Amino acid sequence: MALADWINADESAKDMLSRVLLERPLLLLPPLHRVPLRVGNVVEIVGPSPSAKTEVLIQAAISSILPKEWGGVHYGGLERLVIYIDLDCRFDVHRIAQSLKHRISEIQESTFLNEELFQACMRRFSYIRCYNSYELLAVLKTLQTRLQKETELNGLAAHLLMIDSIGAFYWVDRASKSLPLDGNNRKTLSLQSVAQTVVNEIRQLIQGQPMLVLVTKATIMGMGPLASNMKRTGTKWIPQDNSKENLNRRLEQYVYQEYMPSVWQLFVTHRIFLTTSDSKLGDVPVHVSQWLIPPLQVSDRFVVRDAGISIVT
Amino acid sequence: MAPLKSLQQEYPDIDARFLHFCVSRGILSVEDFLIHDLNELIAFAEQDPDSEDLKKGILMILSYIDGQHQLWLNGLELLEDAEKNNLVISTGCDGIDFLLQGGLHEGQLTELVGSSSSGKTQVCLQAASNIAIKYTGTVMFLDSCNSFCAKHVANLISQLLTTRSKEVKEWGIERAMSKIMCQSVFDIFTLFHVLNQLDTIMRSEVKGKEGKMHLLIIDSVSSLITPILGGRGSNGHSLMTSAGFLLKKLANEHNLSVLVTNHTVGGERGISKPALGESWKSIPHVRLLLSRESGSSTRKVSVLKHPSLACGVSSNFELIS
Repeated sequence: MALADWINADESAKDMLSRVLLERPLLLLPPLHRVPLRVGNVVEIVGPSPSAKTEVLIQAAISSILPKEWGGVHYGGLERLVIYIDLDCRFDVHRIAQSLKHRISEIQESTFLNEELFQACMRRFSYIRCYNSYELLAVLKTLQTRLQKETELNGLAAHLLMIDSIGAFYWVDRASKSLPLDGNNRKTLSLQSVAQTVVNEIRQLIQGQPMLVLVTKATIMGMGPLASNMKRTGTKWIPQDNSKENLNRRLEQYVYQEYMPSVWQLFVTHRIFLTTSDSKLGDVPVHVSQWLIPPLQVSDRFVVRDAGISIVT
Repeated sequence: MAPLKSLQQEYPDIDARFLHFCVSRGILSVEDFLIHDLNELIAFAEQDPDSEDLKKGILMILSYIDGQHQLWLNGLELLEDAEKNNLVISTGCDGIDFLLQGGLHEGQLTELVGSSSSGKTQVCLQAASNIAIKYTGTVMFLDSCNSFCAKHVANLISQLLTTRSKEVKEWGIERAMSKIMCQSVFDIFTLFHVLNQLDTIMRSEVKGKEGKMHLLIIDSVSSLITPILGGRGSNGHSLMTSAGFLLKKLANEHNLSVLVTNHTVGGERGISKPALGESWKSIPHVRLLLSRESGSSTRKVSVLKHPSLACGVSSNFELIS
């Protein structure tokens, strides 16, 4: 009997493949292509402003909202919903629209834009902006119900949760030290408690609905040559030296200081660092990316064009 | 946000029993509720004899919270809204309009950075004059360094008006001047006060009415913020970020274009850089650097940051003297 159970397959190869593909969709977009990312991961994209952080989010969103196949043409997308929470409040919808149109017409190899396909893709992109931490918490607390509704409406599940950018309210929250309150077990509102709640809520969300979490973080302080800002305490990180000295000389000059509470830092599973180099390709600046978690010795150089991100060799 | 008690009238499920339960968990206000773990709260409610009522109360508060954030929009709705409500307004400087593909975008915060006499204020005044002439709406100029000169603005308007008839011109100047409002602001707290007042006024106005405000100028925003930065505390940065978010909120909700100016300071290795530091960098949508070669009337504008243009793209422009 036990033997029969053992011989009986748990699932067919086809089932397994579809399960694995769902759990681990290929998000091979540069500069995120070096590390295999799967749902449940929390990826932090760190860099000074501007270093194409939002652009990386937009391109990832486009790959997710594009269908795999449509009208006999292979688009290679995931056809899943994207949730975009904008804390910086400066998302420009024209940018994603423009880039999506480019991507569609590039694949179709014609300049004629299929309006129906474009609209279907744009509908899979859900956007909300928050002007303070309370709005963010209110969004996260009610997101589960919202996701269920969206999934029913579209017949599709969300695949990406994006937050741009997580440190937006850092200074405001840090300054809001509330007075000691009556009631001995009342939590005080602080940077710490907000971060704790954000982490809890996202953790519960991705348990209920497996999603890949992509978060940007601007280096709002301590981003500068080594000499200055030495007095500040905090975790310091210096990019490791590697073979392409020229390329990394700029990276080396910088110290990136962690400022988010440790509860957030522990929540992050992957971290990539972006910066803009001095060199240019044509008239567009070349950006440099390097993985910090997991630490990789290679760094990539990429440029942003109308059609999206492309690697420079 | 509100204390839980104040929700009682609207939500009958929030009764004295429920309030007592919340107080015992240390929840007195909606904020307290927001930073609480819901699963934990529900687990405690289940131990209570009135667990069903308590759970209903929790759901009630959740539905209240659902109304406390901004609206969810999908990409298509977002695009429609932007195309319908956000105009691109011409600054009257051909080079800048060309670079920005038409001019300043409503709903966005644009920052002009430049050293002294690079033409920041002049661009602001010219944009104000041009918009007052060509559009139906108004312009608000918040002046923190006494840079607004009415005579100069009248002169700019008279040069921008193309008519030859003297009477028509005078009428045009009067009409345009009456649409530019100027207010002196000398510290950040007055700025908050004025911006909040503007918000209230614009909220009470009927939507789509003529005379909507198109442009809000702050010349210069850095001279209001620089004095509060520094020191050990984070209050200065907190005020700065709050001011930035308030400006972006005004821009978004009232489809307003916001134009601010920022000076430059000496950076590492003698290269000058925009004032206000790293945290301010993530506030503006668009950052433009103005510069001028000595002895030449041609000025250069280049992109430091833009949602869709590459950094470093530049063009030349001339100002009306």
